Amino acid sequence: MENFLFYLFSVLTILGALLLVVNRNAVNGAMFMIISLIGMAALFLLLEAYFLFILQILVYAGAVMVLFLFIVMLIDVEKGPKTRPDGLTIAASIVGLALLLLGIIAVFTTDSATSALPEVTKLPEAASAAGIPFGTSVRGYGYGLFTKYMLPFQVTGFLLLIAMIGVIVVSKKITASGDAEKEGPKKA
Amino acid sequence: MNLEAFQAFAADNQWGVLWPELSMALLAVLLLVIDLFAAPLRKSVIPALALGGQAVILVILVLSFGCAAVGDYFSQMVNLTTLGQVFRVFFVLTSLLVCYVGWVYLQRQNLPRTEFFALTIMIAAGMMILGNASNFVMLFVALETVTIGFYVMVAYARHSPYSLEGGLKYLIMGALSTSLLLFGIVLLYGAAGNPSLPHYTGDGLSYANLNNFIVANPDNLLVLVGAALVLCAICFKIGAVPFQIWIPDVYQGAPTPVTAFLAVGSKAAGFVVLINLLRGPFAALEAFTFPLLAAICAVTILFGNLTALGQRNVKRVIGMSGIAHAGYLLLGVLALIKGVDWAVWAIVFYLFTYLFGSFAIFGVMAHLAGPDDENQELEHYQNLAKNQPFLAGVLAIGLGSLAGIPPLAGFIGKLLLFIAAFEARLYSLLGVAIIGVVISIYYYFGWIREAYFKTLEVPPDEASGETARPYPHPRSLSLAHRLLLGALAAFTVLLGIYQGAFGSSPF
Repeated sequence: MENFLFYLFSVLTILGALLLVVNRNAVNGAMFMIISLIGMAALFLLLEAYFLFILQILVYAGAVMVLFLFIVMLIDVEKGPKTRPDGLTIAASIVGLALLLLGIIAVFTTDSATSALPEVTKLPEAASAAGIPFGTSVRGYGYGLFTKYMLPFQVTGFLLLIAMIGVIVVSKKITASGDAEKEGPKKA
Repeated sequence: MNLEAFQAFAADNQWGVLWPELSMALLAVLLLVIDLFAAPLRKSVIPALALGGQAVILVILVLSFGCAAVGDYFSQMVNLTTLGQVFRVFFVLTSLLVCYVGWVYLQRQNLPRTEFFALTIMIAAGMMILGNASNFVMLFVALETVTIGFYVMVAYARHSPYSLEGGLKYLIMGALSTSLLLFGIVLLYGAAGNPSLPHYTGDGLSYANLNNFIVANPDNLLVLVGAALVLCAICFKIGAVPFQIWIPDVYQGAPTPVTAFLAVGSKAAGFVVLINLLRGPFAALEAFTFPLLAAICAVTILFGNLTALGQRNVKRVIGMSGIAHAGYLLLGVLALIKGVDWAVWAIVFYLFTYLFGSFAIFGVMAHLAGPDDENQELEHYQNLAKNQPFLAGVLAIGLGSLAGIPPLAGFIGKLLLFIAAFEARLYSLLGVAIIGVVISIYYYFGWIREAYFKTLEVPPDEASGETARPYPHPRSLSLAHRLLLGALAAFTVLLGIYQGAFGSSPF
C-alpha cells in the first residue's frame, strides 16, 4: 500500500513539474505547479515528516502560489509576443537529452559492484533512527533550530532583510535628494 | 527528549568569536536606522560612517590577527582558521573599497544611497561567514545571503535597461547554480546517511563527518555525482568556463562598483569555498576532482583571454579577463590538490594583487564615467594621459599588474602560482597558462595604448553621433581621492617589490 502511494505521488510530482515546464499559459502552469507541490507534500507525509508536510501545504502550495497567481494576473502575460525556440536551442536540448540518457544507461548497465546505481541505493534490511539527533517532531525541530542551527537561522534573518531592502530599492523611484518620489497628487 | 545534548549545542554558540561578522552586520543595520530617523544626514554622515566604520573594523581585524579564535564553533557550523581570518581581512577591505567606488558613483546618479552601503556591508558579512563555514547548511545559507544581495545590487540602477537585464540574467543563472548546489548537497547527504555503507553518519552535512564517510567510500557513484554538482555550482561563482555565460552581460549592466564587487569579492568567495571543500570533505576524491578541474582550468584560461581580445566595452574586457584570472587561480587549486600546500598562500597573494589592481582600475573608471555607466568604451579613454595624467598613471599601474608586468604585484602573484604548478608537475597546464598571459598582454596594453598614445580624432561629420567621444574630464580630483587611488597603485608596486611573509614561504 505504501509503495503504491509512493509511486502515485511521485508520478504526480514529476508530471506536474513536466507540465509546468511545457505549458505556455502562465495560469495553467501555476496550477500544475500546485499539483507538483501537493504531490511533494504527500511524499513528506509518507516519510512521517508531518511538520514539513504542513509547511509545504501552507507556505508553498498556499501562500507562495497565491502570490504567483496575483502577479500573473496583474501583469497580464498573454499580451507579449510568443517566441518559438530556434534551431540552436532545439539542437542543444536534443544533445543534452542524449547525453543524459547515455549517462543513465551507463550507470544502470555497469557491472562494477561499487558503481552500479541499484547497488549504491540499496537500502539496508533494518534501518534505525539512532544516529539522527532531532527526529521529525515539531518540538525536536524547534530545539534544533535554536541550538545547533542557531547561526544559520540568524543569517537567514539577514537574508530576508536583504531581500526586503532589495524589493524596496528596485521598486521605488528616487529624486535627486535621495528621497522617494511621491506618487500621484497628495490627498488633502 | 535529550535536553543535555541541546544544552551542549547551545553552550557551543559563542557569539564573541564572530565579532567581525557581527560588527559588519550591525554597522549595516545602523546605517539603515540613521537613514530612517535622520534623513537630512543621508548625503554627508552615512557614506562617512560606512567608510569609517569599516576602516575601524579592518584596523582591529589586522591588529588582532595573531590572537583570533581558532577551531570549531556553533556545533561545527563554522571552523575558524588562519586562512578564514585572512579572507575576513580580504572581504572587509573589498567591501570598504566597493563602498568608496560606490560613493563616487552615487554622486552622479539619482539612486538610493544608504541601501547601497547597507547591502554591500551585509553581503561582505555573508562572505566572511562563507569563508569559515564547515557545514553545508551554513555554506548554503551564507552563499544565498551573498547571492540574493548580488541580485539586488546588479539591478540597482533601475532606470537603466542594461542593469535590469543584467539583474534578470544573474537571477536566472544564479537560481540554476543554486539548484545544482542543492542537488549535489542532497546526494552527498543521502549517500552518507545510508546505513549499509561503512562510516555512515546521521549528519552528513558537517564537513568532518562527510570527510570520514568519503575517505571510507571514495568511489561511491552518488558521492562522485554529488561532488561534481557542488563543484559545478562553485564554478558558477568563480566564472570558470562552462559556467561563464552570465559574465559579460552582468558585468556590463551592473553599476561600476557592483561590477568591482562581483569581480573581486564573489570570485574570492568562490575560491575560499573551493579550497575549504578540497582540503576538507573532498580531499579523498583527488582522482576524480583533479582531471575535472584541470580540464576546466585549461579551457577557462584560453576562453577568457581569447574572448577578451574582441571586446571594446571596458567592463566586458574586465569580465572576460576575470574569467582568465579564475583560470590562473584554478592552477593554484590544482597544485593544492596535488599536495603543494603553500599553493593556498599563492592563491591568497594572487587574490590580493587582483584586489589592488582591479580597484585601481575601477576607481579610475568610476571617476571618469558619465551618467550612462554601462557604455564605457575603450574609445572613451583616448587622450586620458594628456588630460588626466594622474588617473592615467593609476590606470596603467592597475592594468600592468593584471597583465603581470615584472615590477608590479601581478607578476609576483602569477610567478608564485606558476611555481606552485611547476612543483606539482602540471607542465602542460603551465604552458596553457603562459600562452594565456601572452595573449592577455595584448588587450591590457590595447587599453593603455588608447589612454597614452592614440590621438586620432574622428571627424565630426563622419561620426554621425555613433562614435564614442573621449571623456571630457572637467572635474579635478580632490586630495582624498588622489590619496586613496595613489595608495592602491602604491600597494600594487610595493607588493611587487616586497612580499613580506608571502615571499619567504615558497622558497
